[in-house]
Amino acid sequence: MSDGPMAIRMTVDGAGVQAQVRPRYLLSDFLREQAGARGVHVGCGQGVCGACTVVVDGVPVRACLMLAVQADGSAVQTIASLPSLEGGGVSGGDGLTRLQRAFRNHHALQCGYCTPGLLVATARFLADHRSPSRAQILGHLNGHLCRCSGYANIIAAIESVLE
Amino acid sequence: MMAPGKFGQRLRRREDGPLLTGRGDYLADLIEPGMAAMRVIRSTQAHARITSMDFSAVANDPQCLGVLSAADLPAGIGMLPAADLVAGSAPAHQSVLAGEVVRYAGEPLAIILAADSYVAEDLAERVSVQYEPLALVMDVSAASRADAPLLYPKFGSNVVHQTSQRVGDPDLAFALAATLIDETFSFQRVSASSMETRGAIARIDPASGRYLVHSSTQIPQILRRELARITGINPDALRVIAPQVGGGFGAKEAVYPEEVLVLLALQRFGRATYWIEDRVESFSASCHGREERIRLRAAVNADGMITAVDADCLADIGAAYSFLSNTPGAAIASVRGPYRIPNFRSRARSVVTNKTPLNVYRGAGYPQATLAMERVMDLAAAALNLDRVEIRRRNLLPPELFPVDRGVSYPGCDAVVFDSGNFPALLDSTLDVVGYEGFEARRAHSPAELSLGIGLSLVVEMTGGGGAEPARLRLLPDGRLQLSSGIVPIGQGSETTLAQILAEHLGLSPEGIEIVMGDTDHSPDSPGTFASRGATMGGNAACLAADAFIRRARDLAAELRGGDPEDMVWKAGVLIDRNRPAEPLSLAALMQQAAAQGIEPAARLDATARYEDDAVSWSSACHAAVIELDRGTGVIRVLDYAVTHDCGRVANPLLVDGQIMGGVVQGLGQCLFEAIRYDPAGAPQTQGYVDYILPTAASAPRFMLRHIETPSPRNPLGMKGAGEAGCSGALAAIANAIADALGPRRPVPEGSGPFTPDLVREILHSVRGEEAAL
Repeated sequence: MSDGPMAIRMTVDGAGVQAQVRPRYLLSDFLREQAGARGVHVGCGQGVCGACTVVVDGVPVRACLMLAVQADGSAVQTIASLPSLEGGGVSGGDGLTRLQRAFRNHHALQCGYCTPGLLVATARFLADHRSPSRAQILGHLNGHLCRCSGYANIIAAIESVLE
Repeated sequence: MMAPGKFGQRLRRREDGPLLTGRGDYLADLIEPGMAAMRVIRSTQAHARITSMDFSAVANDPQCLGVLSAADLPAGIGMLPAADLVAGSAPAHQSVLAGEVVRYAGEPLAIILAADSYVAEDLAERVSVQYEPLALVMDVSAASRADAPLLYPKFGSNVVHQTSQRVGDPDLAFALAATLIDETFSFQRVSASSMETRGAIARIDPASGRYLVHSSTQIPQILRRELARITGINPDALRVIAPQVGGGFGAKEAVYPEEVLVLLALQRFGRATYWIEDRVESFSASCHGREERIRLRAAVNADGMITAVDADCLADIGAAYSFLSNTPGAAIASVRGPYRIPNFRSRARSVVTNKTPLNVYRGAGYPQATLAMERVMDLAAAALNLDRVEIRRRNLLPPELFPVDRGVSYPGCDAVVFDSGNFPALLDSTLDVVGYEGFEARRAHSPAELSLGIGLSLVVEMTGGGGAEPARLRLLPDGRLQLSSGIVPIGQGSETTLAQILAEHLGLSPEGIEIVMGDTDHSPDSPGTFASRGATMGGNAACLAADAFIRRARDLAAELRGGDPEDMVWKAGVLIDRNRPAEPLSLAALMQQAAAQGIEPAARLDATARYEDDAVSWSSACHAAVIELDRGTGVIRVLDYAVTHDCGRVANPLLVDGQIMGGVVQGLGQCLFEAIRYDPAGAPQTQGYVDYILPTAASAPRFMLRHIETPSPRNPLGMKGAGEAGCSGALAAIANAIADALGPRRPVPEGSGPFTPDLVREILHSVRGEEAAL
């Protein structure tokens, strides 16, 4: 494989993006720098903290563990796609989704750095698990580090939106 | 009934909207095309003389936009500051770039600039550094021996800072004691590890032509002053902004080399320059926390009264001072916590070793001091066959004694005087909510392979202070009020809290109050955010500014309408002349009338005030942890966690509870998972979250939180700090619970562990071995 730039194209939150990128360019950097998706937060760059989680072709991935060229031809969804990932859109006068509002009402965020990745992953998780058990929720949250909240309010926020 | 959004209400945060939608302006979001990426070349050695640094492999590479090593630093460049030194301290300050000698792995040696961070990292790999190793000092015991290798030979010792305290006659009390407890407690190095790493950007402010530095910091105002001092740049030519900060916890309360280096790079190479710390780098480049060893001796009477305590603390502060590395001295001075203990002696020494510098980390010495004291209470109870609650009850300071002068002082606190509190009430409340009375029945019913344990801790911690806190309140042309505060939001919800406090004070709705923070051009010169001071200091300052604003509004109203300002009454945003009560004057009307008479209202309705720091206030709490220890796997889970907290009047219980839960889980992390490790050659073994285990959602206990409000008489709002409270008591409660679960015959390593499954199994096996030998 050549080290030279490669032409890639993908959709990011519904908008087409194309660019010439070096093969080693990380998807997380591509999304932030080339697609303006600043809600993709890099917390560890090692695939552990979950802050950079995005959905690629329906699957949640750590954007720091994927190369931009691997996402060539894909549909990428970040926090801006939360209304469609949740399926319910935004409601109320605050422009927030149900999950976002639950996080706000339960004070489930403090510094907010882990929040967008956590919301994206949780929306995807809840799409597959309509009424998850506490153990399933904890299993899902295991992939997301938050240093501020102590997690209890995050768990409460998620449980508050269950059907 | 209180109006919604006023003092004491669970007001939801105004900060949340942008954060929930991924639109927060964190440091990395401010990087612009064309800026140079800075990579720091760091020492790979823990202690060595640098024999050569060879840049020839990159010097002519067109991708290299600049390199800078110690040899290139401007003449007269200052050392990094330390804010908490006492007379006689050795000046173990860190330089911006290491010159001849490196003293820890990770110490900055040089910087290299490139068009992006990928290329900068490649180039840095091609710089060759040669070292001649020097003898290492990796722990406080080795460092404080008479024949120890010295980090700074000119000081003649690795002990660089020392404080001591004495109250009463401890020697006599020890001579008369019925029982002596003598234990040494060890606390491992940990990382505050905010989810956003550090970072800094230097550029020329397009609007003013001045230097503009953005940094993910808790102390932008101090940073501006220190950058000016270190570089010689006129402070008026410098603006510092703390953007949205993704967590701080104390590690961002320091002045770091990289903040100076981006500015020097801008000066030298004329290019706007950014640096974002990567996570691997963070574990050796950002200050560590907590490493110290406390020997605590207690003289105990037969009735359980503790008559004297003697504390000796050796803090491993790493290779040089950070901004606040000597805080164990302050916390050890208060190690007696809520207990009477009439005789007291303490000594705290800071020792330099070949590790990353240490800084304050949430709780600033109180988590360790509290653990030592609270373990001693349990050990004394066991020695006397007394109940753990009963021995505490007998020794607690009763509420009728307040204010209580503890007879000690230290830099930053002229006299330790507990201003308010009700310690027995805290204890009773927590015992009640955690179900202490029913616990033995619960323990008896737990499955055989699980050992339950319960642990208590009482903590009293200094909050606030740090210096006078200014605030400015003015009327904006659109009729809204704007508060400029020097407090820096780092995730704790300062904007919401201050708006809430101010709204209550003015009789207005918080929505109409805009808050400006974190920008040295627009925020008053404040110490910043630390020591749980934001709500108390920022809130009282905001109210003083509001009082000054109201006086100016009354003066203006009297001037415009005729009359005496003394007759003008402020009521919920409206001025009412006592003599003409039927014609109230709103702020909007006041503005219009002023403008109509040729008076610029914005200039008149603008007031700045300072809340003079005449006193810190002392928050207190009683914690209880219930843990479950799996005797097969060695896994410990914290099941229940109860805190009754007293931070005086609670401005927003939703946010205070958030602070407490977050702090408890950080304390839990230290006790169960977290440790920064070095190999014997001084190489950092902690490189990321695979080596450094943070608590996850599965570690979160069931919380039971209560508040008791004994208002502080030391500030008009009656507040005390809450930001560090969870952490300050958690290590102690969890350590006591672990010891309880292991039972009295288990040799528990004293301190904060971490009590990993490996360590717990080791403890259990060693006891089984002993039992087998009997």
